[in-house]
Amino acid sequence: MRVNFTVNGVEQTADDVWEGESLLYVLRERVGLPGSKNACEQGECGSCTVYLDGTPVCACLVAAGQAEGREVRTVEGLADGERLDPIQEAFVECGAVQCGFCTPGLLVQAHDLIERVPEPSDPEIREALAGNLCRCTGYEKILDAVRLAAARKAEAGR
Amino acid sequence: MEFLRPTSWGEALAAKADAPGAVPIAGGTDVMVELNFDKHRPEALLDLNRVGELATWSEEEDGRLRVGAAVPYARIIGELGGRLPGLAMAARTVGSPQIRNRGTVGGNLGAASPAGDSHPPLLAADAEIEVESAARGTRMIPAGEFYTGVKRSALAPDELIRAFHVRPAEGPQQFSKIGTRNAMVIAVCSFGLALHPSDQRIGTGIGSAAPTPRRAFEAEEYAAGELDWAGRSPLDERVARRFGELAARAAAPIDDVRGTAEYRLHALSVMARRTLTWAWKDYLNGGATACA
Amino acid sequence: MELGAPLDRVEGWDKVAGRARYSGEQRVAGVCHAVAVQAEIAHGEVLAVDATAARAVPGVIDVLAYGDAPALADTSDFELAVLQSPRVAYRGQIVAAVVAETLEIARHAQRLVRVTYDELGHDVELTPDHPGLYRPEKISPDDPPDTGEGEETPAEVSVDVTYETPAFHNNPMEPHATLAVWEGDHLTLYDSTQGAAAQRDALAALLGMPAERVRVVAHHVGGGFGSKGVPPRPNSVLAALCARRVGRPVKLAVTRQQMFSITGYRTPTFQRMRIGASKDGRIADIEHHVIEQTSTAREFAEQSGVVTRMMYAARARRTTHRLARLDVPVNSWMRAPGECPGMYALESAMDELAEACGIDPVELRIRNEPERDPDSGNPFSSRRLVECLRLGAERFGWSSRPEPGTRREGRHLVGMGVAAATYPAAARPAQALARVADDGSFTVSIAAADIGTGARTALTQIAADALGVPVARVRVEIGDSALPYGPLAGGSMGNASWGWAVLRACEGLRDGIARYGGAEPGLECRADTSGEIKNQEAYARHSFGAQFAEVRVDVDSGEIRVPRMLGVFAAGRVMNARLARSQFVGGMVMGLGMALTEESRMDREFGDYLNHDLAQYHVPVNADVLGIDAIWLDDPDPHANPLGGKGIGEIGIVGAAAAIGNAVHNATGHRFRRLPISPPSVIPHLP
Repeated sequence: MRVNFTVNGVEQTADDVWEGESLLYVLRERVGLPGSKNACEQGECGSCTVYLDGTPVCACLVAAGQAEGREVRTVEGLADGERLDPIQEAFVECGAVQCGFCTPGLLVQAHDLIERVPEPSDPEIREALAGNLCRCTGYEKILDAVRLAAARKAEAGR
Repeated sequence: MEFLRPTSWGEALAAKADAPGAVPIAGGTDVMVELNFDKHRPEALLDLNRVGELATWSEEEDGRLRVGAAVPYARIIGELGGRLPGLAMAARTVGSPQIRNRGTVGGNLGAASPAGDSHPPLLAADAEIEVESAARGTRMIPAGEFYTGVKRSALAPDELIRAFHVRPAEGPQQFSKIGTRNAMVIAVCSFGLALHPSDQRIGTGIGSAAPTPRRAFEAEEYAAGELDWAGRSPLDERVARRFGELAARAAAPIDDVRGTAEYRLHALSVMARRTLTWAWKDYLNGGATACA
Repeated sequence: MELGAPLDRVEGWDKVAGRARYSGEQRVAGVCHAVAVQAEIAHGEVLAVDATAARAVPGVIDVLAYGDAPALADTSDFELAVLQSPRVAYRGQIVAAVVAETLEIARHAQRLVRVTYDELGHDVELTPDHPGLYRPEKISPDDPPDTGEGEETPAEVSVDVTYETPAFHNNPMEPHATLAVWEGDHLTLYDSTQGAAAQRDALAALLGMPAERVRVVAHHVGGGFGSKGVPPRPNSVLAALCARRVGRPVKLAVTRQQMFSITGYRTPTFQRMRIGASKDGRIADIEHHVIEQTSTAREFAEQSGVVTRMMYAARARRTTHRLARLDVPVNSWMRAPGECPGMYALESAMDELAEACGIDPVELRIRNEPERDPDSGNPFSSRRLVECLRLGAERFGWSSRPEPGTRREGRHLVGMGVAAATYPAAARPAQALARVADDGSFTVSIAAADIGTGARTALTQIAADALGVPVARVRVEIGDSALPYGPLAGGSMGNASWGWAVLRACEGLRDGIARYGGAEPGLECRADTSGEIKNQEAYARHSFGAQFAEVRVDVDSGEIRVPRMLGVFAAGRVMNARLARSQFVGGMVMGLGMALTEESRMDREFGDYLNHDLAQYHVPVNADVLGIDAIWLDDPDPHANPLGGKGIGEIGIVGAAAAIGNAVHNATGHRFRRLPISPPSVIPHLP
């Protein structure tokens, strides 16, 4: 089947999509955006988190056909051209990135948190990132990065 | 495989009647896992995301809430947490925020897994499930009769789940769940409890400790009789313990990867005792609800 | 000085922008997809593979199976002799493969392949008295299975206990993926590997090709923890075979579920510890007897007992390793193979000895410090365990540790535990090329791997330091077997090995520039460290550390939480503080998983790991990790290598599970000797 949707502001048409295919597969294999990662295929790891009409979801659990006519935003769409989003900068600065495979999903999820909650508390950060597994960092630096990005955003908003 | 996209409830029912093998998909949190793991390939997927009414809820004339099958957990927490505190507590323990943004009670009911988190609070609160087929119209199925076996329900092949109906909490409600880590946990076992002060009754729901979610009737009757509803005297510790024992007695757990039967029985008695203790404390304080 | 500075990860921007390409993500025209058909029996022979229905599916390009697959030149390693024999040695073994135009078609057709078997009975369960236990010739990497010295003497205090650890799966976040591209008789493999050069050599040998005709590329690798080491995993071989067969590029992505049977795991163990000591805690004799499993497909003897050979002073010492050869998937390396399970047993037993002697566990370890390496007799290059223990005890507030089973806070029992950590510090020969680029900047090339460790960044710092230029003027190329030879990322040897070669190449280039009188583009220097490494002085080279943990045990449910952990490490010179800290903490958290949440459960009836996905195999989530901290001593070790570093990838996990287990004992007063310490196991022993 054919699926038409918008990804990172660009209208996309994917052809020959199998009806049981996930949005994640379409993004990675058909649209050429492999930033969202496939690590469990069951919504347990969060590596494939993308925005679907502004709400973070696991792209592996969205049927491709369900994305018809909707707006998707992936890790590739967080930066403004060559200018990284503050959450991306904070991940690099804090050393929250190691192997980088969990990073794209974490970034989208953290981006959403900071957009919704201007100054998130630690429990709020932990709760927001509860479904994003990381096997390298032990999470500590990831939490630091979210705190830093949130603080900067709050500072900029004052 | 076909991908069916009804845009109204009538179209959805018609599609399901035409293709009883079509698998309804809303949040996708169960259905897509089965597809990704290639466990089976249904003849069709029936996308319910475009049936707008399924993602709405309303107050009915009988005083109950009617909650569309495709209202995601995140909205149940945000919009109905005050009136359905037990279900909201359970919803908070479902997977991750990403899963709660998509996953629905309707999907939980459709999958009918004994580990589904919404079942215990639905049982405890006497919820009814509204299902419908194009051929036979609407049926209301009490939650206690909905689950018929491991991952099996009373839903007929040509029926779809439209909504669940449940009375807003008139007393404290609680939910407790035990797992091996601190988030992203499939229940080792779970327990839901609701106090119904107007009829001096207790509702319970047991998860992951029997082939189906089920109530602990003996425990409900025992505690309802022992509690001092009118005088509001504190809960006797012995009553709480006995309640826990009786709740565990209602279960029929097995050993599996997540836990042993013995541990599940122990954990159930602990959770039942704790939830009753918390709920009764709330009741004495005059509050309708409280969080664990 | 660039070395030691907390430089941002050099590929960090690519990773956060979603631009870093992992092996399965390279774009190649005409790519098709392969899916493995896995054995549904644990032991027996394939009688027939009927692919008629699968081949009839539109879009299926070919089906490979035994008798109908390209031949391999070397079939000596059964695990890698993919489709070369009808024998089935474990459930999940690759017995056929479908190649199709799309992944969906390949997956669908894979289910239509009918494989019939002659099923033989299987034996998949390791028991401490397994009748098939045998002594391997060697244990990994190349050590004797048994050692013994000194005579046993009657002891005043003795501990004789057995610990049990389950199988664990590495579970890096990136599942193994391979893209195989043949161009004429040249093979390029984009592969998730911890060592491009070693992977190339192994595949060339398997395929019977000269190494020059094989190239392995792995620019970015999403974690490995040993599971992407060399020898390769069978999926890489299968991808190469499929691509050769169909004459097109083939992508083969292993699923998370498949990883549980074909990409390795840590063996379960039974470890008996016997320690005899004087009343004042001085060890007289110590024994460590290890029982593990190995697969009939390939022997892997994890070296769990080696830690007892070098850790503490004793008059008599005995270690043994026995294996049972089972019809199970091939176990292999997982973060700190040997040291990790071995130190769980040794450091738990030390805690038991401390209790038996009535001596503080920190003090007990200090009393048993050896003067030289008890194993080799060589001096230690440096050994600062005592400082780690003392500093950690002070920082952690160890003096407030309660008597076992006495501190109750609400519905929680609270306790603290300590364990020592150690890991060998070695280096392997490597080559590097440093050259002046056309724009006057510097390019350093080596077939190193960055599997998330930060190697690319640390090597950039080492090079900049040696060249005396800012890091911005240095570009390090890694992750490609076409570059000068570098050993794989494993055994915490990566940075020492590659860094050494990079250092020498850059020193040589700097000299060359001085001689030439300027940084002329094209000037270059190639270094090879094999001679230097062969002539290293005789030292025992190890990192050391001390792990502290606090736990809270819910008396009703048995749930355990870890509110605080502290690791103090003496691991040589730290090349980049920011990256190092994450490596230590990440290791500690993996140790937390080992202690409390992780376990691969063998299904006795079917012979596979039951909980083979991330919903059921519980790696720690952020909510499991509360106050965790890692610090280190400033510890350049001049005898380790010219950089003074010792490797930090693995020591973080070593001892972590023991510290948590010892803390659970301190909290509850009960000793749990089987991991993971789960609520069901805890409940019967709570007050």
